Amino acid sequence: MKELELKYVGHEAVRLDGLEKITGTAKYVDDIDLGPATLYVSILRSPYAHAIIKKIDTSKAEALDGVYAVVTGKDFPYRYGLYLKDNYVFPLDRVRYVGQHVAAVVAATQEIADEAVKLIEIEYEPLPVIQDPLVAIKEDAPLIHPDLGNYEVVPWLYPQPGTNIAHVRKIRKGNVEEAFKEADFILEDWYVVPHVVHAPIETHVSAALYTPDGRLTMWNSSQSPHTQRNIIARSFKMKHKDIRVIAPYVGGGFGGKAGVNMEVVAAACALKVPGHPVKIRYTRKEEFYDTSMRQELHAYIKMGVKKDGTIVALKHQLYWDVGASAEYGSNVVNATGFSAIGPYRIPNVWIDSFAIYTNRPPCGAYRGFGYSEFHFGLESHMDRVAKALGMDPVEFRKKNAIQEGDTVAYGVEMGPTGILKCIDEVAKAIEWGKPSEPPKEPHKVRAKGFAAVWKAPAMPANESSAAFIKFSEDGSINILVSGMELGQGFLTAMAKIAAEELSLPLEKIRVELPDTDRNPYEWQTVASHVTWSCGNAVRRAAIDAREQILDVISRAYYIEKSNLYLEDGKVKCYTKPDFEVPFESFVIDGVQMPDGTYRGGPILGRGSFMPEFTSAKVNPETGQGGHPNVHYTTGAGAVEIEIDTETGRIRVLRMAEAFDAGKAINPDIVKQQITGGFVQGLGTALWEEVKFAEDGRILNPNFTDYKIPTALDVPREMHPIIVEVPQPDGPFGARGIAEHTMIPVMPAVANAVENALGVRIKNPPVTAEKIIKALKEKTV
Amino acid sequence: MQKKEITFTLNGKKVWVEVKPYEKLLDVLRDKLGVKSPKYGCGRGECGACSVLLDGKAIRSCIVYAIEVDGHDVITVEGLQANGLTDLQKSFLAHNSFQCGFCAPGMIIQATELLNENPHPDEEEIREYIAGNLCRCTGYNPIVEAIMDVAKKK
Amino acid sequence: MKTFEYFKPTTVEEAFGLLKQFGAQAKILAGGTDVAVMIDDGMLTPDYVIDVKGLSSLKGIEVRENYLWIGALTTFSEVIHSDLVKKHFPVLFEASKTVASVGVRNRATLVGNICSAVPSADSAPTLLVLNALVEVKGDTDRLVPIKEFFTGPRKTVLGVSELVTGVRIPLETRKFGANYIKLGRYDGEDLAQVGVATFVSEDLEYRVSFGAVAPTPVRAYEVEEFLKGKELSDALVEQAIPIALKSISPISDVRASKEYRMHVSGVLFKRSLKASFERLRGQGPAYGTNLV
Repeated sequence: MKELELKYVGHEAVRLDGLEKITGTAKYVDDIDLGPATLYVSILRSPYAHAIIKKIDTSKAEALDGVYAVVTGKDFPYRYGLYLKDNYVFPLDRVRYVGQHVAAVVAATQEIADEAVKLIEIEYEPLPVIQDPLVAIKEDAPLIHPDLGNYEVVPWLYPQPGTNIAHVRKIRKGNVEEAFKEADFILEDWYVVPHVVHAPIETHVSAALYTPDGRLTMWNSSQSPHTQRNIIARSFKMKHKDIRVIAPYVGGGFGGKAGVNMEVVAAACALKVPGHPVKIRYTRKEEFYDTSMRQELHAYIKMGVKKDGTIVALKHQLYWDVGASAEYGSNVVNATGFSAIGPYRIPNVWIDSFAIYTNRPPCGAYRGFGYSEFHFGLESHMDRVAKALGMDPVEFRKKNAIQEGDTVAYGVEMGPTGILKCIDEVAKAIEWGKPSEPPKEPHKVRAKGFAAVWKAPAMPANESSAAFIKFSEDGSINILVSGMELGQGFLTAMAKIAAEELSLPLEKIRVELPDTDRNPYEWQTVASHVTWSCGNAVRRAAIDAREQILDVISRAYYIEKSNLYLEDGKVKCYTKPDFEVPFESFVIDGVQMPDGTYRGGPILGRGSFMPEFTSAKVNPETGQGGHPNVHYTTGAGAVEIEIDTETGRIRVLRMAEAFDAGKAINPDIVKQQITGGFVQGLGTALWEEVKFAEDGRILNPNFTDYKIPTALDVPREMHPIIVEVPQPDGPFGARGIAEHTMIPVMPAVANAVENALGVRIKNPPVTAEKIIKALKEKTV
Repeated sequence: MQKKEITFTLNGKKVWVEVKPYEKLLDVLRDKLGVKSPKYGCGRGECGACSVLLDGKAIRSCIVYAIEVDGHDVITVEGLQANGLTDLQKSFLAHNSFQCGFCAPGMIIQATELLNENPHPDEEEIREYIAGNLCRCTGYNPIVEAIMDVAKKK
Repeated sequence: MKTFEYFKPTTVEEAFGLLKQFGAQAKILAGGTDVAVMIDDGMLTPDYVIDVKGLSSLKGIEVRENYLWIGALTTFSEVIHSDLVKKHFPVLFEASKTVASVGVRNRATLVGNICSAVPSADSAPTLLVLNALVEVKGDTDRLVPIKEFFTGPRKTVLGVSELVTGVRIPLETRKFGANYIKLGRYDGEDLAQVGVATFVSEDLEYRVSFGAVAPTPVRAYEVEEFLKGKELSDALVEQAIPIALKSISPISDVRASKEYRMHVSGVLFKRSLKASFERLRGQGPAYGTNLV
């Protein structure tokens, strides 16, 4: 289908879920009424960051009137995990972070459940607490997972038993030591990026009902209903067909609702009280303590360049604090290990990416999947190297920008990419090179900062999507998929893809939210990949339906199939301008023949997509030899900031970001991903940080002291820019961009600060306090 | 345990409901009266997702006890749209202002109060009014633009 | 969850009677924006909650005799929209706008703010520089000068069964300028890490108050004495800063370090003083302008 002919894809439209959401009718898990048999749950949490559980006595709790069940580790002694099974439903012998759920009470009222939980007696033997990954990685460090060697793990991750290292990904490309010898200039330094949280406005909510027929039904605020069903089935030793996961609208995911998390607690509670639904709605405080957060990164970067600006070598060592469980976070470490060269052509690369256990909450998937964290150091480093060479930082990036055909860190060729255009567009929008308007007040300074970024979806080699399209009597369709609408416009994108292939207006299309009993498989809605993967499945399903439609009309009317086409929900004929058969007349009922018989029957489109070129089989020592990522999306971002040098406060006046989306299925929704992702990135750049006490408690588990941006804190001028260099295997050329839009912000801000004040902050968030401290140290 | 039957006007109609004194208005609306649009986001009045109009003013229903609204007037999004979408809702729809939609009811309530107080606010006043409504998805500008559109009319 | 019983008295006498009856097991509920959160956090555990919103004699903003009276049930939104406040003490309008967010201000009362007595209370520094008086109903009714009202973090002079019925701000016959600045971590809703209020009268009486940088909101008497009678100049302000800072003792906490608070206190003191002085002269930024 030619570019020019696209009627739906690439055009603006009102979101499919818009009306539901502005009328307050959109249902999220907590909006579902489960009926009067519902019981209430209260969870007991560990006060210790690291301790042996010596004894649990639940007898007093169980004896309280109105208590139906008390659940502890021994009731479900199963380990589970997405990639590495190091997590327990409830811990058996050891707690590993403050706030870890240790037991749960299920009772007739919330008051009784809360009372009963206080009656559970647990004897702990505290163990040394480790919060620093650089301490945890030492040989003599106490082991947080002494049993690491016995954990089931996917073949492409490498836990190191007898240590706190859950995984290490190595890249050895070329010869960095030789290259450093040839370099004209070398810069090495450390950067530290702290833990942050997703903070979706909807907390995690999970409801579960186990009925005596052996079926477990769950309603989860989830990015991954099928993966959840899979993990729960395997961990609880149940059959997949006996578990049904229904995922209504999600009030923000950002990776935090991917995989399996507190849903296992709800499932475990439900299994203990057959016939009674249970619902757990996490409080905001629990959302901080016991879901997942973003890893902390300590990164060492050594870059060698020629004086003409060519990067010749990069050594990048990433020490990731993955918290108490690496079941998901191990892949963050893995993915970044493969990609921590950034969007650049670098012939000699040495990367070590370590997943290190600590006694902090488990760290899993967070928008960007580790890329925001490593780009902070790398893009800061790029600016510093450029300055040392006397080169403009944007020119330096363009000179080294990776192009189609260059090899990435693991030896595979880069696909088509619009990175140069992204860099140029951003530079133009921010007026790079033109000094900022001087502020009125003498104590304020303005400057601009730049960053270039990339990311690939981090997925198993056999990730897949599937779609059904079914028609109704009025010619409308329901698209059944298990991709999730998190707000990113997934439903509308799928509808447009189907609309384009079937030439059916959007008003006649519904996309159904996941229900594992009815909707076909989707791996997870993560990785910025569903537009590409599920989009391909939906496209195939639409084409499949189209083929069936053309087939039955061809047979019924004796017209050559190649003379038929679809337009506006009708079948038309190139050779007979007056011929038109509307879908509604036959998509269920079939076509009636002159003799009274019928042809056709219900049209049912089917599409399935799995990439067949990816492989996680690489050399563990060098990272070479496989094809772990499907493709990269590239982009760039810049900010113009104003700093009050007396208070240290920073305001962003203007931002520009450009991403190569290949083909924006929904242009305004793509632009919103850019502005929305920018703002989430801004939070981590200026204000967001999880603060821990010595004993492992979180000091700011609330919005009072964990500040996420408000309408007053965002730049009034935002330039979201879409670049389109088609992704050859994407639906209409599309590739994902949703995570990427967060990535440039931390380094762009840090670079702008250096441009403004000559101080280099190597540890976000760049708070007002850090600015004042840096200014004072500079003048000392 | 003390219980009281309270009565108040909810979305234009009188309702009667038995509450315990420590039950929050948010939970009573959602769990006992079936009004689901106000959401739980933080429980501390810091995110605005629970906002409803109490006697015409936006308040955070997660930190108001239901018993306090006995004899008062409560409006939620369900009530605002009883006679069709408001201009504000139509503007939000046309601008694709919301993504995950979880902050939407609170934003609509807060923006409704703003436009009732001042039909023609400027951009900064709009931002100040919705500053207590946290949104993690949109970066706020599509929401502000939609409200600006309504502010510019009439 | 904390369970409690609820009462809604219709007269002040009735409310007082309940407070006497239940003593330390009772808590007054007005706006509830602080109390409800404290109860959920387990920091307050009342068995009885006394809702005072039915007491009509606690409502309103009026000029009485020689003071502006703000009833205990007045919300920050009502203060912001009050023509009387804008006319007599626009600095109170300015301070009220910095509190939380609109949805919280529609409920939170100014009197509730001072009764919560958090060191960062946004109304406190302004009331301190306006020499406000707190009306206390007790076994004997009394008028407590605001400078004596706070005794420690979350502690006031209020007895266990006393309640505040209103706040009196003595009307000024002199021309004056005043200002409140609050530093938050960003422009959105935040607790003050530093709050500064200043007041300058036409006869060059200076009043300075700091919030969030001492166990209670405080007046900085030493620097007031130093500035008294002097025309403000940049040089004078520079000399005044270190003297002002002697009145405060910030701590480090999850929000800010004491070094940073000390530094910013000096900066905000300077800005606030200049703004007040300019306003005295009929210039300066409009009340409600954010000077951070």
